[in-house]
Amino acid sequence: MKQYRLAVDVGGTFTDVFLFNEQTGEISVTKTASTPSNPEQGILDGIAKAEINGEDIKVFSHGTTVGTNALIERKLPKTALITTKGFRDVTEIRRGTKRELWDAYDDVAKPYIQRRDRFEVDERIDYSGNILNGVNEQEVRELANILRRRGTESVAVCLMNAYVNGVNEAKIKEILEEELPEAYICISSEVLPEIFEHERMSTTIINAVLGPTITKYINVLESEMEGHGYKDDILVLHSGGGVMTSETVPRYAARLASSGIAAGAIASKHIAKLCGFDNAIGLDMGGTSTDISLMHDGDLRITKDWYIEYGYPIGFPSIEIITIGAGGGSLAWIDEGGSLRNGPRSAGAVPGPACYQRGGTEPTNSDANLVLGRLGTELLDGKMILDKEKADDVVDKVGQHFGYTKEESADAILQVANANMCDALRLISVRRGYDPRDFALVTMGGAGPVQGAYVAKEMGIPTVIVPPHPGVAAAMGCLLVDVRHDISKTFVRNVESVTIEELEEAFISMDTEARDLLEEEGVSEVDSTLMRYIEMRYMGQWRSLAVSVGRPIQSLEATIKSFHEEHEREFAFSDENQSIEIYGLRVTAIGTVPKPAFQTFEPIGNITDAIKQTRNVYFDGEYVETPVYDRAKIPVLSEIEGPAIVDQLDTTTVIPPAFSAKVDVYKNLIINTNN
Amino acid sequence: MVNNSTELTKPKFDERLDPVTFEVLKNGFINLVDQMAEQILRTCYSFVIYNRDFSCAMCDAEGNTIMQGTQDISVHVGTLHLTAKAVLEDFKGDIHPGDVFLVNDPYRGGTHFNDTRVLLPVFYNGQLISFMQTNGHWADMGGSTPGSFDVNAKDHFGEGVRIPPVRIYSKGEYLEDVVSLIVSNMRIPEERVGDLRAQVEAAKTGERQLIDLVEKYGLETMLVAFDEVQRYVERLAKAKVKSLPNGTWETVDYIDMDPEIGDGLIPIKVKMTITDEEILYDLNGSHPYIGCFLNSGFGASLSAAYAGTKTFFPEIPLNSGFYEVVKVELPENSVVNAPEPIAVTGFCSGAYEKIMNACFELWSTIMPERAIACSFNLEYLLIGGNDSRHGQDNYFMWYDWMAGGHGGRSDRDGVNALSPVFGVGLSVQPCEGQERLSPVLTTKHEIITDSGGPGKYRGGCGVEKGGTLTELNNTVMSYCCDRSRSVTWGIKGGLPSYPHGAWLNPGKENEEFLGAIFSNVKVKSGDSFIRPSAGGGGLGDPLERNPEAVLEDVMDEYVSVERAEKDYGVIIEEVDKNLDQFEIDYEATELSREFIRNNRKQWLEEEPKYVEQLFNKGEIDKLDVIRRYGVVMNYKTNKVLLESTKQFRDTMQKRSFAYWS
Repeated sequence: MKQYRLAVDVGGTFTDVFLFNEQTGEISVTKTASTPSNPEQGILDGIAKAEINGEDIKVFSHGTTVGTNALIERKLPKTALITTKGFRDVTEIRRGTKRELWDAYDDVAKPYIQRRDRFEVDERIDYSGNILNGVNEQEVRELANILRRRGTESVAVCLMNAYVNGVNEAKIKEILEEELPEAYICISSEVLPEIFEHERMSTTIINAVLGPTITKYINVLESEMEGHGYKDDILVLHSGGGVMTSETVPRYAARLASSGIAAGAIASKHIAKLCGFDNAIGLDMGGTSTDISLMHDGDLRITKDWYIEYGYPIGFPSIEIITIGAGGGSLAWIDEGGSLRNGPRSAGAVPGPACYQRGGTEPTNSDANLVLGRLGTELLDGKMILDKEKADDVVDKVGQHFGYTKEESADAILQVANANMCDALRLISVRRGYDPRDFALVTMGGAGPVQGAYVAKEMGIPTVIVPPHPGVAAAMGCLLVDVRHDISKTFVRNVESVTIEELEEAFISMDTEARDLLEEEGVSEVDSTLMRYIEMRYMGQWRSLAVSVGRPIQSLEATIKSFHEEHEREFAFSDENQSIEIYGLRVTAIGTVPKPAFQTFEPIGNITDAIKQTRNVYFDGEYVETPVYDRAKIPVLSEIEGPAIVDQLDTTTVIPPAFSAKVDVYKNLIINTNN
Repeated sequence: MVNNSTELTKPKFDERLDPVTFEVLKNGFINLVDQMAEQILRTCYSFVIYNRDFSCAMCDAEGNTIMQGTQDISVHVGTLHLTAKAVLEDFKGDIHPGDVFLVNDPYRGGTHFNDTRVLLPVFYNGQLISFMQTNGHWADMGGSTPGSFDVNAKDHFGEGVRIPPVRIYSKGEYLEDVVSLIVSNMRIPEERVGDLRAQVEAAKTGERQLIDLVEKYGLETMLVAFDEVQRYVERLAKAKVKSLPNGTWETVDYIDMDPEIGDGLIPIKVKMTITDEEILYDLNGSHPYIGCFLNSGFGASLSAAYAGTKTFFPEIPLNSGFYEVVKVELPENSVVNAPEPIAVTGFCSGAYEKIMNACFELWSTIMPERAIACSFNLEYLLIGGNDSRHGQDNYFMWYDWMAGGHGGRSDRDGVNALSPVFGVGLSVQPCEGQERLSPVLTTKHEIITDSGGPGKYRGGCGVEKGGTLTELNNTVMSYCCDRSRSVTWGIKGGLPSYPHGAWLNPGKENEEFLGAIFSNVKVKSGDSFIRPSAGGGGLGDPLERNPEAVLEDVMDEYVSVERAEKDYGVIIEEVDKNLDQFEIDYEATELSREFIRNNRKQWLEEEPKYVEQLFNKGEIDKLDVIRRYGVVMNYKTNKVLLESTKQFRDTMQKRSFAYWS
């Protein structure tokens, strides 16, 4: 009986398995160690540990770091670039910039394809699509011959102005497919027909280097899963917040460059909606870093400015996630100017915080939380014992500098950490024109619920949601997504000179392409939704804003009005007298995948039975005797007054004094900051 | 990390603020200025600003900079407090809530006319507490040349609109007449108003955020924090300088020439003295100002010294506290401190990077682990005229700058194709975007083989861009660059890259070398051009470079087989280029290196006229002329420049020869 929905999130350290039983509504979660050298093994281990048969799995969806790791470690197939004569170095020149402006020894990563593997052909198309110089077939065949001799496994083709006219690229592809039947070939006019040669070339190259890698990985995984009795598609999460099947992976492999990272954002969106919020900020705080995402009006924010390594952009839309170096293991230190700093350096897994007793000698946020009693001395149901004396010692070292007690010092360390997180939260909220007071904060990861309440208070966020399994919530995100593709193209016109018919015609051809993709993935017409967006800007501006339009487009006036409104919200000004330019079109295709309906619970038992102990916890300058609850035993619909500590296997939740909390029917813990 | 060794000397924290409030506010200020920057980037009109030629600052009520943007362009560093003080000087007692000021005056601490600063005074309960400043490079300021870069300008009157501190909003009212007077003198005035608006609105976001902070922490705490953030930077910088040895170091770098004089490099002298906690740069001995626009005003020269220093202390934030530790003496009426009305618009290609690279060289001695040889010089080409594509006749401006090679470093090669040290965050533009907007078809944008200055650690490679003009009328071309004579140099035994300069119609009958600075050269449809950016200088003796590293460079065509022999003495045989098969002949390499070692001293002393003859006979090439013989030539006439050669060889003796065994 196919009754399970299985989600697996393969992270750098752990592989999280989230299993949902459709019949009973039960959820079970498992964690195993990731196996980066043989990534599918970690998944199979996790599935084995969860004790299910392949035959019983209805849907299998997963997020993976295979692409990210392959890029960073440059474990890539032998890949060549073919481009227009005179432009083979575009991917090395990039935009010429560095991220670290002042450190002359902090370099941008090397290009994914080294210069010796970048080739040119004599062809040229101009800005309006005229062929100034066609493809010389003989030249390409000779080049193909060289590539064959070099053992080239994959080829990226990106020619100048191919975004307006892809005919020369298509010709080259045709010849290469004849000459190099084994090789993986992708051309920029199919991957991302958008203006700007570096960004398009970078995306095409990443697609070319990841295509074979990820296809091979999926094929192995599919055959392994087949051996275990699961014969359906394996869904892979992409950074745009949707899934795709192995059918479309080769064409859009670059979207899987950070497959895993979107899962947490999607989970936080779902959890917030379950709790009745349309606006939420996700705070996924782990050991070394924190990922922050934002949902407004039910939609996660999307960005086109992203990359795995600075300088090599990926032009597909991606869920906007801000990652900062602040986690449980972030180090507190005093700089030469005498200032107390926190992160971005981290004690990592080894040595880890001093209290882990693995050789750490510098104070971390976890040490500070232990000093204050906010963390207990036992983690993972007693499987891990923390050394409070060690934590006291290292935290005290910081305190001595300022003449602080160890508690004051721990408190200061955490306040600085929280302030750093608030700065990142402001980047994604206030800076984008969103008022955090209208949002809920969804805390996830092992460290999120420990500090989430304080972060919310600082930001004026009224509500903090702690889902039932914050440590593995990201994996759940993989089950909550639809098949999604984004088709985009550059289309530059003044709104005054464009007609609805022209726009409609351009959109219809994009719609067809989007429909075809969904069809390839086996999505039926009823389950398909297409959404259209127009990228617009004031004439003369350089950045554009996406405005959603109807299908078919109803009125250009209404679209223009939304643009002014959006500009006003985002940048605090707009100008109705200014002429507006259309810059690009986008179609988002959604193939709805049935979602699990999460179980609701009845209150059973008594809240007082959930108190497993009381301990002294330091809040606001003094120790307060604080009850420690066992989360598993707290009945739904219970209410808890702060101060309180809630313990569970994968995290600890801190409810400070004057905060209150209740548990909803889905077992979410909802903290009110009572601001 | 509590570093016990510095515990005793570590200054104590100011008692007026607890460490948490301090850290929170300091980071809050960084966040605030970076938010202003983000907004400008997303709403600006000038492509120059969009490609990150801008900066933002929060200043205190005295005009001192409390915090500057983390991604700001280097060239504005250390000038924003000067323009804030200029506004205070002119308007003290007459600054009101709702006012906004504009200033671009390089003689009042600005950089050049294009860098136009918006200053918004922030009040709290009627008290002036701060200025929000947003500074962006406007694409055109009027004047005789599109883009407002007139290479031949001797004074500023024809260059563009000079804006001393001027009020553009009075108590909340937009002074349209004033703004109109200013922008009417510029090409495409409506875009300038767009930039102005973007900058004003960005400053307002900073104001709102600051007011939120004041309401939360109280005015008193905030004013203490303004001061304390500056004192913190000062403490941090002093602690770092104190750990260095006291001493004096000096060097000289050169601008190519004064076109009024002719042959002769223009010296910029930099003497640095470290005394306990302070760094002093003394630029006395630098040349008087020259007869073209490559001079710099005092603000820009201060900025160069600050930016040159900051590169060796990347972790110190920038604010006025830093300027308490780094002192600079600039001689009056010199090329590094030109008075009004002397033209300074080209300072960025002229004096600025010379000061900066000279600082790099001095610091490379003090901190050898962070050493870096000279990097390529900022260059930009402007083509302005009428675009006649599609039967239209619209004004266009193709304004292009390139990446180039950076200097070799203590343990690795220099970076290939990076934006200039003037601002490594400045993006080069996409050719596809340029082709849509202008009738210029780019024919190449590629790394140049053999452009990196040879060294044990090679300089990074430069880039070449070429283009063809398609359909246009009434069009002129200008170029602002330098180092066609004062060629990008190596250090610690490393060798120079090669001379800058643009070519019109290369390879055709009417081919012409235009040099590294020219303006308003008439061009027409069908003309073509190329121009290279130099590589970086090398670091260390090229004969000590690992032959395997030279082999790798040959495979990637960063270095040719021919120059592998001439520059590195490494003999490489090609087996099958298509399969990256090359072989090093180690025995021949030994002999070849021996040959170079035995001859290079006399090459550097060879009679310049004889070198000129060899070049004109085709027996040696341009790279041999500069790298082997240290000879500077005028490539318009192919004649040797005796005075410039003497000066260049002098520095090559010190930078290269002195380190050869």
